[in-house]
Amino acid sequence: MDTPPFLRMSGVRKRYGGVTALAGADFGAEAGSVHAVLGPNGSGKSTLLKVLTGVVRPDAGEVLLEDRRLRPRGPRDTLAAGVSAVYQELSLIEDFSVLDNLVLGVEPTRFGLRDRRAARERALPWLERFAPAFGGRVPAEERVGDLDPGERQVAEICKALVRDPRVLVLDEATASLRRAQVRVLFDVVAELRERGVLILFITHRLAEIRAVCDFATIMRNGRDVTTVAVDETAEGELVELMSGGPAPAAAHPGGAAAGAAETPGSGAAVEAAAPGAAASARSALDGADRADQAHETAPLLEVEELTGDRLDHVSLQVRPGEVLGLGGLQGQGQSELLATLFGARRRLGGSVRLFGRAIRPRSPKQAVREGIAYVPGNRGLQGLALGRPILENFALPSVGRRATLGVALSKRREAAAARAVAERIGTRYGSLDDPVSTLSGGNQQKIVVGKWFPTEPAVVLMDDPAKGIDVGAKAEMFAVVAELAASGAAVVLGSSDDRELVEVCDRVLVLFEGRIVDEVAGDRLTEDTLIASAMHVTDANGAGRPVPEPGEGGPTPQAGADGDADPDGPPRDPGATGRSAGADDSNAARGAESPAGRAEPGPARRAQASTDNGGAA
Amino acid sequence: MSVSTAEPGAPEQPPAPTRPPLLHRLVRDPVVISGSVAVLLWGVAALVSPSFADWNQLVTLMTVASFLGVISIGQTLVIIAGGEGIDLSVGATATLSAIVASRFMDGTNDGFLGAVLLALGACCVVGVVNAVGVLAFRVPPLVMTLGMIAVVTGFIRLYTGGRPEGSAAPLLRTLVAGDTVAGIPGVLWLWLGLSVLVVWLLRRSPFGWRLYAVGANRTTAYLSGVNTAAVKFSAYVLSSLFAGVGGLLLLGYSQNVYTSLGTDYMLNSVAAAVIGGTALIGGVGGYLGTVIGAILLTVLDSLLRIMQIGGGEWGDAPRQIIYGLVLVTVLTAYGRQKRLRQ
Amino acid sequence: MSTPAPTRSPAASPAPTPPGPVAQAAQSVMSARMPTLAVTALLVITLAASIVLQPDFFSAYSLSASFATILPVATIAAAQTIIVLGGGIDLSIGTIVTLASAVSVVLMDGDNSRLPLALAAGLATGAACGLVNGLVVAGLRLQPIVATFATSSVFGGLALLVLPQPGGTASPVLTQGFGMVLAIYIPVPAVLLLALWLAWRLLRRHRFGQYLYAVGGNADAAYTSAVPVSAVRVFSYVAGGTVAALAGIALLADSGAGDPTLGTELTLGSIAALVIGGTRLRGGSGGVGGALVGAIVLSLIQGLVFFAGVPTDAREFVYGCIIIVAIALAGLLTSRNGTRRTAAARGKAGTA
Repeated sequence: MDTPPFLRMSGVRKRYGGVTALAGADFGAEAGSVHAVLGPNGSGKSTLLKVLTGVVRPDAGEVLLEDRRLRPRGPRDTLAAGVSAVYQELSLIEDFSVLDNLVLGVEPTRFGLRDRRAARERALPWLERFAPAFGGRVPAEERVGDLDPGERQVAEICKALVRDPRVLVLDEATASLRRAQVRVLFDVVAELRERGVLILFITHRLAEIRAVCDFATIMRNGRDVTTVAVDETAEGELVELMSGGPAPAAAHPGGAAAGAAETPGSGAAVEAAAPGAAASARSALDGADRADQAHETAPLLEVEELTGDRLDHVSLQVRPGEVLGLGGLQGQGQSELLATLFGARRRLGGSVRLFGRAIRPRSPKQAVREGIAYVPGNRGLQGLALGRPILENFALPSVGRRATLGVALSKRREAAAARAVAERIGTRYGSLDDPVSTLSGGNQQKIVVGKWFPTEPAVVLMDDPAKGIDVGAKAEMFAVVAELAASGAAVVLGSSDDRELVEVCDRVLVLFEGRIVDEVAGDRLTEDTLIASAMHVTDANGAGRPVPEPGEGGPTPQAGADGDADPDGPPRDPGATGRSAGADDSNAARGAESPAGRAEPGPARRAQASTDNGGAA
Repeated sequence: MSVSTAEPGAPEQPPAPTRPPLLHRLVRDPVVISGSVAVLLWGVAALVSPSFADWNQLVTLMTVASFLGVISIGQTLVIIAGGEGIDLSVGATATLSAIVASRFMDGTNDGFLGAVLLALGACCVVGVVNAVGVLAFRVPPLVMTLGMIAVVTGFIRLYTGGRPEGSAAPLLRTLVAGDTVAGIPGVLWLWLGLSVLVVWLLRRSPFGWRLYAVGANRTTAYLSGVNTAAVKFSAYVLSSLFAGVGGLLLLGYSQNVYTSLGTDYMLNSVAAAVIGGTALIGGVGGYLGTVIGAILLTVLDSLLRIMQIGGGEWGDAPRQIIYGLVLVTVLTAYGRQKRLRQ
Repeated sequence: MSTPAPTRSPAASPAPTPPGPVAQAAQSVMSARMPTLAVTALLVITLAASIVLQPDFFSAYSLSASFATILPVATIAAAQTIIVLGGGIDLSIGTIVTLASAVSVVLMDGDNSRLPLALAAGLATGAACGLVNGLVVAGLRLQPIVATFATSSVFGGLALLVLPQPGGTASPVLTQGFGMVLAIYIPVPAVLLLALWLAWRLLRRHRFGQYLYAVGGNADAAYTSAVPVSAVRVFSYVAGGTVAALAGIALLADSGAGDPTLGTELTLGSIAALVIGGTRLRGGSGGVGGALVGAIVLSLIQGLVFFAGVPTDAREFVYGCIIIVAIALAGLLTSRNGTRRTAAARGKAGTA
């Protein structure tokens, strides 16, 4: 690079309170390229790009765009300079129509008033371009709040494009997208690259990096580690660079694992590294032995014909010490089942027996009293009170139990209880009085699990507990799960990651549309079986390929995103389409998909809304 | 297990976030700031008028502050409980309590206990209605409690016909104005007792911890087995209850009642809580800060009075203006919301 | 430059959408319109009851009197709505009204020739108060409830300085003009009410009108979309203050004299009116139209309680109870709507 690069950021530093997000990162990228920014959670990649877009003010460092120093006072200035971004947290106003959102901040005006016709002319072409991603429609007048998560993300992308960017930042923009939507996006990205636009791309899915990216910069601990040309770098090497060494536990972050591993030819290195850390946790406890034991004892939790919203006569049994997985496509009732067992959703029929005694919890409070624990899918919004001290978060479910006469707490006793748990699950913290928000994601998640230990739960329900935490923390998390099981608890684990299920569970139930359609255990318990099992149902239904576009479901769309790597076998891998795939190809696929794809979101979204209502009530 | 707990990135783990030094934290602590400002104001007042530093003056000052302090107890609880929690009806409720009690006491000690119970009972009804409106009908607390002002004032008018009757029982008068223990009137002992109770309740009782959790993240609290509705319900009922207690104290102080007795406490109680570091977003703060806030507001008011800024030709006006300006200044010191740009 | 070739597919026209989305859209329209429907229903009911209970309700005199009392209340509600839509709240609005009217009445002093100056000064006062509020909230970033409570003390004090006792004399032109009835049937206040609504529609069409909703709906999102959030916040308070000053002048025109002590009552009334009118207190949803109707409903209810023969002492109580029921109803409809939204918002946020 002899000539100064199109975009150069140097010596960028940023601290939030006591946490260093960026420790002097340098970054450069060329116009007309797609440049990936990679790194584990908390490596500072999002912060770096937020500095570029002006949302975050750096403590030090400078940004040069075409050799001109960019000193933004806010997004207004960077937008004027041609930097446009798609964020993880969307920047859409839910009460506005899609069209109004697209032109927000850049509304064309006539005589000082907003000119709707000009706005349409400006925004509609992009919406039309992305129509396949909206199931074939152009939702200009629809309220954003009524779109499903994937569609919102697409609307967000359109919004960035309407601003005619020279630099387009895509921060996890594909995380909640369905395959067809990703395909449209990648087509557009290819077009933009031809026109000389620089695209900066943050993603956890390695397959996508291979599909569209020219370069990749790897970040770690707030610094850039290196920049590589994607074509010349093996996937395994990328993984190593990200995790900071050839650690055995270095599977893929997030849900990229399954999708990437199936990419023919590219996944070899990954597959070798993959049967990762979590498995070791299980083997340490000698999983086979444990499973044998489990079969001899009486079931601890028996569920018969459980029905409810999105649940269709679910029956299952879990023995003490057993880890039961809930698999299948994303949003097929796994979350609903767990929430219903926990009393957070209404049960319409069926019976649940714990230790042979019928229970009927009408609220989480009653469920906790029966000895049930629940690890929700979204730790920030459902699992923790982020601003409160670690101690209080630890104590919350059991705080009444240690109180003298039920009313008086002893700080020493509380701290001792919390410390005991923290030690057991290996949580690192500064002081128990620090807000829990100062911890890393993995440590936070351990608290969400660990806070249940003092209640000595007989049944532990976990809804995708490893989502959004990095590989090392994930392994520790599952060690905790294994320990819970070892102490005689029955664990029910819903996960969007088939690999995780295979590694951690003794037995996996596959759900489809709220029904249990298969049970996978023993030698059959492999990723392939799980994928096939989830697919099998759709074929039997005669619905054909279209149904497995699962992005809508689940209490959190992030989960949907992770999950949709699983059902799509090799034929529909993004690695195969992506950069090279022509528009015709994807159009054809879309044509077949749209009817069923559209029919799907209705109930799923309703279910989602009611989960949240239930949670909030 | 030994394998799995090995952190892949362990050598490069960023150091655990360090806590800012103690001094730094103290300087930013709302309680410390408000306390300093209160002491400062008191010092200025003592310089302006040396009699201000008299023990008797101090006792009077604290007595006046105790009314606001007691009424603000419930306000603090409701604000901590979150969900845009606020109780604007505390002023009207305090008046209601005073009016009911004075009618049944009617200047004698005979019906003292009955009058107190009846007055507090009436207040609890207000709290229950507030809670039902907020929790069952999902009316924003600000609006619900605002509407309750109209209802309670209307009820007072209906109940008294516009002419409140009766007066405080001598017992109540002794409690508030009389000289009881160690030169400190009973009302201050009562306030001290209530303060200790409330601070203990918030910091060392399951209810307090749950209250903070509900305020900080209701969904988390619910999914951790907390009965969030019950916690919030209690907060609203306690708010009205303590407003009622405050109303009784006011009655003891003023001997007779009038229909606007508690009106001033509506927003001052919010201000006291916020000055003391209880944020309106919920889940943050505590009662100790509110005590300081109540004292600060009272000292400020007295200072402006003894400087004779009020009164005379200009009436109340300059006092009000300065009061507002000081309030803004104190809040600016720490009561600020997050920046848009981080 | 980077606009893709416009492919005018049939799907481009928004009308013929597949049944799923149509049902969804209809649902969304219904839910968005619910508060509006509710307040309209309330209006119809109270109007009908008024007509039944007050036989001469539609006489020119009665109409004129009704609108004369409605206009100030409605204008304050409109002012508060502008601020609430932008995500704020103004507890000082009542004192701005009284301060502006005090300044005006002192300046006009019963003299017609000084009317323009007095009106301009009144409006400027309102705008200046709004500016102070806006700077305190957006600049100092104080929580609006406490910040405007503090400034209300300041403005109230200033009002007392300007006009220590209720009194003063408004210009005769103002009071007479306000009491006129045009074309036999249309009172001037009604025309002014309409003008207020039209001005709001104009603002709504303006970019800032749109920004108001964006900032109130999601300030962070608006900020990243290059909406000048702080400017919009300041603007909302300045606009609110100016409209509040208009209310002060209307009050002056109606009563012929100033009153520096009304403050708090007016503030509380304005919040009740906007909530009944379907504006979400958290901001970003609702509108001035609803608030105007809400204010009308409130006035009508007050009249109804009077005409229904409720004993004097019970009137306030009955009125209060009706208000709380109306608020609960409106709140139920608005917040259900809001809950759905928060649910969706919760769903969209990942575990970053």
